Amino acid sequence: MNAPLSKTIVIWVMVGMVLIVLSAPTIVVLGASFTSGNIIAFPPDGFSLQWYAKIAMAADLRDAFMRSLAVATICTLIAIPIGTLAGIALSKYAIRFEKTFQIYLLLPFTIPLIGSGIGLMLLFGQMGMLGQIWPIGVACCVINLPFMIWAVSASAGSLDPDLELAAANCGAPPISTFLHVTLPAVMPGVISGSLLMFILALNEFLVSLLLTDARTVTLPVQIYNSIRSIITPDLAAISVVFIACAALAITLLDRLVGLDIFLKSK
Amino acid sequence: MPASKQAYPFRWRVMDAVENMASALWPSRFSRGLPYLMLLPAVLLVLLLVIGMIQIAESSAHTLDRSTFLPSEDHTWANYSQIFSTGLYWTVLWRSLLGSAIVTALCLVFAFPYSYLMVRTSSPLLRKFLLIALFLPFFIGQVVRAYGWLIILGNQGVANGLLGLVGIEPVRLLYNYPAVLFGLVQYMLPFAVLMLAPALTAIPEELESAANSLGASWWRTFTHIVLPLAKPGLVGAGLVVLTLSLTDFAMPAILGGGSQDFIANAIYDQFFRTSDQGMGAALTLILVGIGSLAVGLVFTLFGAGTLAMGRDRK
Amino acid sequence: MTKTTSILALTRRRFLGGAAALSGLAATGWTGKAFAQEPEKPAEIIVRAWGGSWVAALQAGVSDPFTAATGIAVRHDLTEDNEIQPKVWAAVAQGRVPPIHINWDTTTNATKSALRGVTEDLSDLPNLANTTELAKPVGLEGYPIVNTYGYVYVLAYRPSAFPDGAPTSLQVLLDPKFKGRIALYNDGIGFHFPAQVAGGGSLEDIPGNMEPAWEFIRKVKAQEPLLGEDPDFTTWFQNGEIDLAVTISTNAREAMKNGIDLAWTVPEEGSKFETDGLWIPKGLPANELYWAKQYINFALTLEAQQVWLDGLGLPGVVPGVTPPEGLAGDPSYPTEPADFERLIRIPTAVQVEHESDWFGEFKAIMQG
Repeated sequence: MNAPLSKTIVIWVMVGMVLIVLSAPTIVVLGASFTSGNIIAFPPDGFSLQWYAKIAMAADLRDAFMRSLAVATICTLIAIPIGTLAGIALSKYAIRFEKTFQIYLLLPFTIPLIGSGIGLMLLFGQMGMLGQIWPIGVACCVINLPFMIWAVSASAGSLDPDLELAAANCGAPPISTFLHVTLPAVMPGVISGSLLMFILALNEFLVSLLLTDARTVTLPVQIYNSIRSIITPDLAAISVVFIACAALAITLLDRLVGLDIFLKSK
Repeated sequence: MPASKQAYPFRWRVMDAVENMASALWPSRFSRGLPYLMLLPAVLLVLLLVIGMIQIAESSAHTLDRSTFLPSEDHTWANYSQIFSTGLYWTVLWRSLLGSAIVTALCLVFAFPYSYLMVRTSSPLLRKFLLIALFLPFFIGQVVRAYGWLIILGNQGVANGLLGLVGIEPVRLLYNYPAVLFGLVQYMLPFAVLMLAPALTAIPEELESAANSLGASWWRTFTHIVLPLAKPGLVGAGLVVLTLSLTDFAMPAILGGGSQDFIANAIYDQFFRTSDQGMGAALTLILVGIGSLAVGLVFTLFGAGTLAMGRDRK
Repeated sequence: MTKTTSILALTRRRFLGGAAALSGLAATGWTGKAFAQEPEKPAEIIVRAWGGSWVAALQAGVSDPFTAATGIAVRHDLTEDNEIQPKVWAAVAQGRVPPIHINWDTTTNATKSALRGVTEDLSDLPNLANTTELAKPVGLEGYPIVNTYGYVYVLAYRPSAFPDGAPTSLQVLLDPKFKGRIALYNDGIGFHFPAQVAGGGSLEDIPGNMEPAWEFIRKVKAQEPLLGEDPDFTTWFQNGEIDLAVTISTNAREAMKNGIDLAWTVPEEGSKFETDGLWIPKGLPANELYWAKQYINFALTLEAQQVWLDGLGLPGVVPGVTPPEGLAGDPSYPTEPADFERLIRIPTAVQVEHESDWFGEFKAIMQG
């Protein structure tokens, strides 16, 4: 089926603009990290790996990165059981007050991020939990929970309820059914949800800014503080590390689940 | 055949024990309550946010004593009255609302062809390429991307370099309102596309070819068939972009040059520049109110669209 | 076999003997230094600092030598002073260990913390004895903070934009030629007082009537100034974004090190003089408090001040520090009473009480 030329042109022009806008910062940051000069510039002044050497030696950047990984791991580990159960519950069962639950569980979206962050900051402060890493993981999980539930319920929605009845018919007790029928069916949703949670927590900026201090600083906050202070290209090099993580996550997502899952209708 | 112990695998024994425990804890009489049990952990987790909001409300009732720099002992509405009487906050509020409306409109316009192409294309390679191009910036994070734009749009950056080729003097492209809006649009585009795509997938391609065969131009097909059917996607995307850009912190802070504060920046300032926790909390509560109002409005008018979790009882 | 056993036995015996000797020495309190009974050294000390040339100067002058002498690593936290303040206050209020050991802060900010009672007393530092009067904070009991140097918010400019010579008055900020090419601190710090004079008011009216200052600032707002923090000024000068700025000379010096031609002056309206200092938040464990105090003590030695302030280009609080090349007699390096004549000094108490209001008013004008 041939699409009319005008339609193709309009679509491709707009898509082209979006592609440029989306990829430009990535390319620039990548390029600027290889400069042999002292000032951040694109196109880079000569080619050198000196800035990568510098950040490899920077203990504080390494520590911040490790902390970011820890936060992201804690967030994902909490999110998987909680989000999976909630997502399955919402899509498979008839619940009274369903709309209320939906709105309640969308609260992390409706409450602006700064509001959530400050609320958690005050709450954790009162409970004396600030100054450690794991509360940040919990906070990241709370604010991104809707993503996990969304991903799981999208998968669970396409699960045929008859399958579970069939399993029960064959004599499977409830937990076995859950483990052997339900869970594998929602696995794509769980995987894509957890990868999403991991990356979101890794990149979480505003809530980390509010909850961390010098002893617990995570990498995005470290970069932000440095952007406002040091103007050397090692920031570009460290950003490339983020880009690498993102690329890794995307490859994983694609290998395990297939990126197309996000296109599926509900 | 003799029933030896070996015949009954260990795994099955474990499962039997687990099932027995489960039915002891949650007998089948309660099976109707099972979904509520499954929802409980999530509800408790989100409860943290609710308690946080209550803390904010409590904090907003205290003003800052300038002689001891401690919050006042008594409860007062003084913070709120000061907010409503200070011109600065109205300016910031208006700027944020207008900005988020513009950003939402622009995002919807540009995200639509991208999602459309991504969903409709017959080449899996192109689809994968578009998906990767979408996810890569999504996974990189705000700060790094804003940093990239600082380099590109600076006085000696690529953009001004290109303008220079045509003979135009370096233009101040950063640290103004359009720069912040641009930054927000480029940050929100992946969100918008992700919200639109499921809705577009749900529109059968045959509908468009049917309209085509009946003589409709592609533009008419678009406005009369595709657009109305994509409504849930537009609603979901619009909602997400609206609330996220209204409350964004990083873009106005990094690209705005200090003169383009949005509400989140004003709140941050109160907490971390003047150390006035009460005022900051009051501003936060007002922002939460406005945000919830907007979301509630859209929900009641249009439903949750593709943002809905759970079953769609349409 | 026996040979191996005997070697092993010999080594083990030797080892045990050595260990016994060491533990005997340790019991006498010998730790390899001249001090007796030093508290246990922490793995690191966290010092909050301003980034760019500021932290580089601190590192060269104080942190690195301190690490070399004691073996304790020094980590610099680049969170802005305003942003760490509520975090420190919250930590002390909630009974937690504060996020930093030492805060390198403006005297005004530090005074707020002192008034709130979150600072440790530093009067027992031995090196305080050979500091000038500038080191003692005005209006506070003892030494909750130690001032370490003074600085001037000069009018920095690009000479190539001023072929007829240095600008003499702040009115130059209103010249349409410089629209969009001027820069100020994003809360207006260092600018409120000269603006009062530039707007036709007098310093005696501060804080009672600051309307002349706000009037002048409104006119400056029409010139679309860039607003930022210390490193931004350096970047903007380096990237050719601005020709004029009211900032600390250190930031201009940093751009000059990278080859940009800059100069600065004190305009006829005057420039604000301020001091920065070091303080320690309450709540640190005893051994970390001891070593934090050692750090500040070290920062007050002549050697540390010399290198640190060479990097900043600012006058210190220890007599005998020689100014860097070219800065003797420079308006940004006041040492003699005569140098202070055109500098504006407003009492810390007034600033502490009203600074937030001035910041708020400045931001309100600039945002609107």
